[in-house]
Parts: sequence; structure tokens; C-alpha cells
Amino acid sequence: MKKLPTIALALAGVLTVGLTGCGLGSGTSGTADSGSASDEITGEITFSTLQLKPTFTDYIESVIADFEELNPGTSVKWIDVPFQGAQEKISTDAQAGTLPDVINLNPNFAQPLEAQGAFVDLDEAVPDLRSQYVEGAWDAFTVPGEDGSFGFPWYLSSEVTMYNGSMFEKAGLDPTKPPVTYDELFSDARTLANAGADFTGLHPALENRFITDLGRLGVPLMNETGTEWTFNTPDAEAYVAELADLYQSGVFPADSLTQDHTKETEAYQSGQIALFPSGANFLSIIEENAPDIAEVTDVGPQITSEGGPTNVSVMGLLVPETSKNRATALEFATFMTNAENQLAFSKIVTIFPSITEALSDPYFKDDSDGTVESKARRIAAEQLTDAENIVPVQFDDRIKAIVIGKVQLAMKGDLTPTQALDQAVEEANAVTGK
Amino acid sequence: MKAQHKWLPWLFLTPALIVALTFTIGPFLNTIVLSFTDATTLGGGAFNGVENYIDLAQSPQFWISTRNTMLYVIVVVPLLMILPLLLAVLVERNIPGIGFFRSVFYSPVVASMVVVGLIWTWLLSSDGAVNRLLEALHVIQEPLPFLTDTTLLLLSCMMITVWKGLGYYMVIYLAALGNVSKELHEAAQVDGAGAGRRFWSITMPGVLPTMLLVGLLGSIAAMKVFAEIFVISSGTAGPGGQARSLVYTIREVGLGLSGEIGYASAMSLALFVLTIGFSILYLRSQRTDQLR
Repeated sequence: MKKLPTIALALAGVLTVGLTGCGLGSGTSGTADSGSASDEITGEITFSTLQLKPTFTDYIESVIADFEELNPGTSVKWIDVPFQGAQEKISTDAQAGTLPDVINLNPNFAQPLEAQGAFVDLDEAVPDLRSQYVEGAWDAFTVPGEDGSFGFPWYLSSEVTMYNGSMFEKAGLDPTKPPVTYDELFSDARTLANAGADFTGLHPALENRFITDLGRLGVPLMNETGTEWTFNTPDAEAYVAELADLYQSGVFPADSLTQDHTKETEAYQSGQIALFPSGANFLSIIEENAPDIAEVTDVGPQITSEGGPTNVSVMGLLVPETSKNRATALEFATFMTNAENQLAFSKIVTIFPSITEALSDPYFKDDSDGTVESKARRIAAEQLTDAENIVPVQFDDRIKAIVIGKVQLAMKGDLTPTQALDQAVEEANAVTGK
Repeated sequence: MKAQHKWLPWLFLTPALIVALTFTIGPFLNTIVLSFTDATTLGGGAFNGVENYIDLAQSPQFWISTRNTMLYVIVVVPLLMILPLLLAVLVERNIPGIGFFRSVFYSPVVASMVVVGLIWTWLLSSDGAVNRLLEALHVIQEPLPFLTDTTLLLLSCMMITVWKGLGYYMVIYLAALGNVSKELHEAAQVDGAGAGRRFWSITMPGVLPTMLLVGLLGSIAAMKVFAEIFVISSGTAGPGGQARSLVYTIREVGLGLSGEIGYASAMSLALFVLTIGFSILYLRSQRTDQLR
């Protein structure tokens, strides 16, 4: 009879230890253990990328080999993480203090960790480098209201407007004149949808474009300190009203209300829509999946409003404070993002270097071969010099779900644009302000 | 000798106990603790009393999720209790080729929910097979918005859950039907009872305990619905997230780099209380029925 309480006590002990370890753990994100043991560039580092295997395996491995050859005694262990589930892996690694020495993140993924001081401040660690990078890209890895910049901008992507020239002709539009402004985009989309053919104009892909569109229209998305959302303005209301009209009049495909950018890509590749504003790198995907559509595809510049900014999407490399080999990690990130390596990367796929020296290479100005890829490359590169990362880093998945959800209801006619935006701002502020 | 071996059962239990403690009981108790903290995926964990529960009570998303989850249980569970039984009665007979039909009915069970969801997304899209068929039959003039209307989306997800679960519960019923006395059926047939009468008066009472089990399993599964809604709605839970279930919202709130683990834990406990409460009510009502 005496054994049972003993066992119960033992179990309680195990649980107590477990609960102390898990439930009320401090979870410092590994900021306390600042690793940099020496400034010597040597030893092993881990380098993680976001979904670059297997397409870019050869390129990444060759850069790693070059780095190891240039820096004897170093060794880089490369890990590639699929985009899906990356946030969970990063947060687990951050909790355990086992983030890779060099980690590839976009600004939205990086921000929650940056805010906790998880990454090395590059303005302090490598102050001379800032001037070498495209300004808008370098600024993407800053925390609103705080000093410092925490990521080496790596490859950039700039939206262009891909369109189906054959459908333009069928709808009576000039295939050499792509839309440039939002008014032109929506006007062309209406003409295309009303052409009486088996295609329509445009896909909204709200999760990918809505907040960027507001930014390009000059709508102030957040206050200066980045603590409150402010996009419930008359301009934004007019834009939501326009989206609702386009949806209800069939210019957007019927099921597009809840669909994402992947479905938009599929819709363009299958000839359901005529206009496809997206990253220039999607040209190669269209070429691979739908050669017939690729053949009639042409490109125009990114859709903007008069005087509004141009958007650039940034991928970066960050070095955690917990890195045991900070000097090697910083050297590797600098090497990976240098002009030569970024230029080589840009020649494999239609992405753009974040370093100004590489971006001014003739490769990005020459479209004399007449291909749509080189035209897209030239257009996108021209846009990049004064582009900025419009999407606030606080626009995470949860805020996105709130905002897009309200816009969907407005497009269906369940809410007025004013109600939708007011509710979106209120609910988003309740989450951001926590 | 006997007294010395008192520890023996505990020895045999230990491996299972360790697994249960590590992967079930421990995390469960941890969830209770976390629900009273401000823990996030990246840290925190300070005690904040019942703040998460107050936030929960004031959250429209929580109440929409609860409403949808309960609706799911109310619609799906009766269907999962009745339809597989009818199917089991149908395929119970030993006629040539019946094995093929049993396999076909069971095949959705082994298919991945994501694959099933994608197939149904194509079928239910505005230009998909279901709308085309209804238009061809002149049942509808315009395509039905199965994927963009909250009610239709939820009904579609319920239908998929039922369709996918049919085979599983059919197999359970097949085993139960084997225990229903053949003699009773024969005697009733001799007395002139038709197929419907025999089903109602012999088969149904014979499989009643199994129906109880199926109802319980079905209601627990329906409470945990997520994949159907996530895949069919392209990860949005329909326009405005209005078709969200509790598990969908728990995932949305608790995952990602800004995940609020404390808040999500409070919501998980609410789901736990709902599930246990529903199960107890259900079992009690069934017991009362049986006593009658």
C-alpha cells in the first residue's frame, strides 16, 4: 500500500520538472549567450536557406566551396528548409538557442526575432557595408522605432506585369501597351473580361497583393513608430470599392475570392486570366509549365500610382547573436552576398542582386536578344534603384488573415469598404498592440 | 511471494506510462499551465491569471469557431451513425464481387486528407464537375459558390468528412453485424416481417452499442475538424474566415513566429471542455435510452 503514494510522488516530480521546463520557461530566444569566441575566420558554421534545394543546389554548393577554399580551415554545413513549416522550425530553433550561424529569412519572418535582439546588428558589426547595398533593401531588416539593421539583403525580386498578348489582341487592346497605372490595369481587365471569350481579366490574389497595392497607392499603412495600423483612409476605401466592383462584375474569376498567388499563377498558366502582375522569376515557371502561354506572354513595368513607391521583395541573410562562430558567419554572409556571387545567382534565375555594384552590371540593361526574360530583367532592374520594401514587417500571417478576411467580405458585399477597413484596422491593432 | 511481486504490474506498465506521460499527459498539463501565461512561440510565459480566458470570451473569432464546430458535430455525427450502417448492411451479403465494393467504399479512409481536399476543391469549383452536372440537369442556372459562400463551404466540408469516414465506420458496423443473430432474422422472416421491419427491430437493437461507439468517435473527430476546412478554403476558412473551426483558430493563433501560445492553450482547453462535456452528455443520454 505504501508503494502507490511513492509512485504517485515520483510521477508528480516528473511532471513538475516537465512543466517547469516547458510551460513557464523563460524562452529567451537565445539572446543571452553571445557566442563570438574569437575574430578568427575558421571552424564550422551552419547555413540555412529557404527552399532553394534542389533547383539551386549547384550554385549554393559552388559558392560554399569557393568560400572554404578562400578561407582554409572553414567548413559550411548547408541546410535547406521548405517554406512551409519554416516559421515553426525557426521558432523552435530560436527557443532552443540553436539557430544556424547564417540564416536566410525574409523581413517578415525576421522581425519577431529582430525585436527580441536575436540577431547581430550589422550597422555595428560591419558598418562599412551598408553603402554597398540598395538602400531600400538594407532598410528592410530594421525594426520600426529601433536602431540597427539586422540582415544582409540577399536576392531581390521586383514585380512586373506579365500579360497574354494574344488575349489583348482578341479583346481589341494594343498588345504593345501594357497597363502601367491602377486605373489602366482595371480598365484593361474590364475590357478583357467583357471580350466575350473564355478568359477573364485579372486575379485579385489578395494575400499576395492587397497590402502592397495600398502602399503603392500611397496609403499610409502604419504610424511612424510601427505600433498602429492606419490604412482605413478614403483612398483605401475607394480601392476596396473598386475590388468589390471587379469581383461582382466577373472581372475576377468566381472562386478567386479566397484563392492565393499559387492559384493566380495556375489561372494565368491555364489561360483563364490575361494579366499577371508578379515577380519576373515567374516567367521561367510559366515557360516550364505552360510553353504555349509563355510564347504569347509579354511584360510591362510594375503597376504603380502617380508618385507612389515601387515595391521590392527582399530575402536576407542574418547572423544570430548565439552564433558560436560569429566572425566566420559574418564573413560567409558577406561573401554570399558580394557582387560577384549575386551576379552569378541572378544569371541562373530572374532575381536581382541587392548590391549596387552588381545591379549596375550591363547584364541588367541589355535586352537586345529580344526575349521576354531580358526585357523583364531590364524593366525590373530599372525599378529597383528607388524601390522599397512596402509591406510592413508587422504584416504577419495573423494580421494578413484579419485584413484579407475583411476585404473578402467587402468584395462579396457583406460589408461596406468603410466597415471592412475600419474593422480590419481595429482588429489588427488589437493583435499588433498586444 | 505474492507481496514481493506487487511491483510487477507497474514494471509492465512503465514503458506505456512513460510514453503517455511524455507525449500526452505531460503536454496536456503543460497546456493547462500555459493557458494562464502570456507565453508566445518565442518566449514569455509570465503568469497572467485568467486574462487569456477573458480575451477568449470577448473574441468574435472564438465564438464563430465554437458555433461552426458545434454545427459540424450536430450535422456530421448523426450521418456518420446512420449511413455507414446502411452501407454495412448492403455489403454484408456474401455475393460475388462484394469484396470489390467493400474496398471501394473503404478507399477514401486511406487517402490523404490533403489529396481528398484537393480533389473536392476541383469538383466543387465554380466550373467543376458538380456545378457542370447540376447545370446540365437544369437544377441550377448559375454555378453554386461552394468555395466562396460560408454556408455552402461548411456543408461541403461536412459532406467530405462524412464521405471520408463512411468506410471506416462501415468496417466497425460489419464486425457488429456479424454478432446479430441470424436465427432472429430467419424467425422474423417466417413471421412475415419485411426487410425494413427486420432492420428496425433486429439489426438496429443488435448494433446499438456499436452505434454508441461510432457516435462518440464521430463527435470527437468532428470536434477536431481542421484539414477539410483548411484545404477546401485554400487556407482562409472562407470569406472573412467565417467557416473557421476551433482547431483552425487554435492553429492560426498559436503558430508562426508571432504565435500566442498562452492564448492558444486557453482555446485548446475550451475545446477540451467542450469535447469532454459533449461526450459525457452523449453517453448519459444513450445510457438513459438503453435503460428505457
